[in-house]
Amino acid sequence: MFCYQCEQTDRTGATPGCAVLRGTCGKDETTADLQDVLVHVLKGVGQYATRARALGAGDDDATRFVMSAMFATLTNVNFTATRFVELVEEAVAVRDRVRAAYEAAARRCGQEPEALTGPAVFAPAADTDQMVAQAADRGILVGLPLVGPDVVGARALNLYGLKGVCAYAHHAEVLGQTSDEVFGGVERALDYLAGDPTDLDGLLGHALGLGRLNLKVLELLDAAHTQTFGHPVPTQVRTTPKAGKAICVSGHDLRDLASLLEATAGSGINVYTHGEVLPAHSYPELAKYPHLVGNYGGAWQDQQQDFAAFPGAIVMTSNCIIEPQASYRQRIFTTGPVGWPGLRHLEHGAWGPAIAAAQALPGFSQDGPDARITIGFGRSAVLGVAGDVIDAVKSGAIKHFFLIGGCDGAAPGRSYYTQLAESAPADTAILTLGCAKYRINGLDLGTVAGLPRLLDIGQCNDTFSAVQIALALAEAFDCEVDDLPLSLMLSWFEQKAAAVLLSLLALGLTGIRLGPTLPAFLTPALVDVLVDKFQIAPVGDPQADLAAALA
Amino acid sequence: MSEAVSDVVHPVRLTTSDRVTLTIDVPDGTSVVDAAAATGYVLPGQCHAGTCGSCHAAATGAYRLGPHSAAALPDAAAAAGQVLLCRTYPTGPVEVTAPYARSRILDGRPGRREGVVTDVVRVAAQMVWVQIALESDDETGAGYQFDPGQFVEVQVPGDERRRAYSLVNTGNWNGTAELLVKLHPGGYFSGYLTDLLDRWPVAADDGARLVLHGPTGAFGLRESGRRPRWFVAGGTGLAPVLSLLRRMAEWGEPHPVRLFLGVPTPADLPRLPVLAELATTLPTLRLAVCVEHPDDGWTGAVGNPLAALEAAVAEHTGTAPDVYVCGPPGLVDAVAAVAAPAGLPPVVAERVLPT
Repeated sequence: MFCYQCEQTDRTGATPGCAVLRGTCGKDETTADLQDVLVHVLKGVGQYATRARALGAGDDDATRFVMSAMFATLTNVNFTATRFVELVEEAVAVRDRVRAAYEAAARRCGQEPEALTGPAVFAPAADTDQMVAQAADRGILVGLPLVGPDVVGARALNLYGLKGVCAYAHHAEVLGQTSDEVFGGVERALDYLAGDPTDLDGLLGHALGLGRLNLKVLELLDAAHTQTFGHPVPTQVRTTPKAGKAICVSGHDLRDLASLLEATAGSGINVYTHGEVLPAHSYPELAKYPHLVGNYGGAWQDQQQDFAAFPGAIVMTSNCIIEPQASYRQRIFTTGPVGWPGLRHLEHGAWGPAIAAAQALPGFSQDGPDARITIGFGRSAVLGVAGDVIDAVKSGAIKHFFLIGGCDGAAPGRSYYTQLAESAPADTAILTLGCAKYRINGLDLGTVAGLPRLLDIGQCNDTFSAVQIALALAEAFDCEVDDLPLSLMLSWFEQKAAAVLLSLLALGLTGIRLGPTLPAFLTPALVDVLVDKFQIAPVGDPQADLAAALA
Repeated sequence: MSEAVSDVVHPVRLTTSDRVTLTIDVPDGTSVVDAAAATGYVLPGQCHAGTCGSCHAAATGAYRLGPHSAAALPDAAAAAGQVLLCRTYPTGPVEVTAPYARSRILDGRPGRREGVVTDVVRVAAQMVWVQIALESDDETGAGYQFDPGQFVEVQVPGDERRRAYSLVNTGNWNGTAELLVKLHPGGYFSGYLTDLLDRWPVAADDGARLVLHGPTGAFGLRESGRRPRWFVAGGTGLAPVLSLLRRMAEWGEPHPVRLFLGVPTPADLPRLPVLAELATTLPTLRLAVCVEHPDDGWTGAVGNPLAALEAAVAEHTGTAPDVYVCGPPGLVDAVAAVAAPAGLPPVVAERVLPT
């Protein structure tokens, strides 16, 4: 096992990375190794799919599978070894199908099909033990002695960025938003990585290309959300319990939430959002359900305590799941790409067991004191008052914007973001995006120029919305986004955040502050490149960073 | 007034099968199980007296073992670093390797539920199946949830004596517990059940009330990829195995399954509808019933399940199976002795001892 794809990877040794029998996230060696084998086979799918699509024989379903299988390998998504054995076998079947389609298409065009090598022809062992052993020379460190750590790190940046792209593309796809451009882009990226590229400049250029692809994906995801559920509107969300039976929906997937709300309508069960599902309350087509009563708990890293205290059923729709404690193992359910050994997995829409659990569990015995937070400042809401915002900036009432985006996590260094928000002067506004908001959204930051100083744009899935806000302001001021009085303070944890970072770099944004630590897969040389080209800096002292941003 | 506990404490690092490490400071003269409970960790265990074997683990470091049953921990095993944590008294730092996952360690106190026997059936010559409807509980609600393979301690209200039995069913939301109990002549709970059988049906307030403590226990399914799962069960060792098989059926798990079930005579073969139903609800199951002393009417396999397992291991090709065994200590040790030389993963074991 070797894995260093997330922020909490083991940094206690000379070389950062989880190489022990169990990763920091709880992923065991077998599961980690099977994930490496799966990714290798998926690269082979990409090799044939790229060539098939070029000949007009694209197989969208194959790449749908690829995206969801890649999603399962993200941090805190799926920990079930058995599931990965099945996914490897499914991936081989998909690869065979795409290969046949490619070869037939080539022959139709009078071409001799290419004899592909590497992942295209890799044969996973039928025996699970041997399949696990095959990971030894197919993981992220493959070729390290030959190509050195910088190339390996740059490949990792591409692979992990691609995992984020696939996760977002899967979220959009389940709501019916796909495009040839995205299918083709995912396939080509896998094909590229299948070739074990060694050119450092090429790898960094490719990573920025993935950032551009991710912008297309995020645009699809924005369309998926807003066309299905309407545009977010500023909304006060209850953060305390209502008496009654209860289901808590965590993860990111709004389609699963909508389906659960429909299935529980009139049942007397109250539905709560958790973590990154919080922005659901701002979408009119979700907020219309009276039994969507509030948001429960804090960010993902607090779930063991929060879920233990929740007196109902819990449904995990995507990342981040952490090891379920004994006290709630029997009442937490997984769906979509998520899995944990010994937890009941429900197919989308088959919510019966979760509803039965909620009915049998005690639920909340009484209402909590009314407490609320305000959310729902997506692009439609913010740009709806763009005139006021622009006037406030021109008059000097708002001097600066801070975008605090990305993930929350357990690292003590993440208190940086709270301190930053608390210390930011009263004539600044703070935009939040992703579950990093949980470091801040309990603060009362008041108003500026008649607007709340704290504006939550939404999930990390809503990055497109943030980008649109920035682009619109830049247009209004006739400048580049980089020239706006805007500082980006990113808080990263997993691979979706890696994809978002690549998108922001692809837009040409400079001076991003990244924390709480820099990715372990970025070697000093790679960091130097990013500093040189994009002036990326690690987060430092909040006061000093504030002063620098406002200088 | 605080309890008199030694000022000297010994650090015990306990590592679970999923590689979670807990550190427990064990006061001198206190067992690991008791010190863990005082720290807020309820380790799997049942008799707390060195006789049931359910707190079996491996240890290195400085400790002494208190009195215990040789059936639960033979001398040779103790000499090789095996321990019963309820009888392990650290005298210096100790490293414990537990054979179960972190999730089997409860935080806080084990549960207590009351209920009423709703059905009791003699399913074999000396075996009784009991169904209990538990009352709804303010904290946990109407359901009865547990990991398949776990056991409960059963108590008759007003009598302090407890007896441990594996649950035969799976966690559910209507509050049902099912037990499979072997009748021992002169046994305490056997006597209770025999009386109940004689008088059945009885009213709830006429001796049908029971208290269930737990659930607890480390026996359960191991998630290690799509390995075949082979189960060996002797006598009422079938109970937790049935729970595991029923869970696999309910969830549609894909692993190929074999069950080697041994009984002394055909009359000891439990007539359990759920066992028959598994033939259809768990299509990957192959069942081998082995009768040690057949009568004239018996047409199935003769012998003990160990021989059947040995033959299957010898014939097997492909991914090595995870072997699960529940039965008397002799059977557990014999199965481990078959699995280890064949290079199979460590056996998942539950020792059944009369309590």
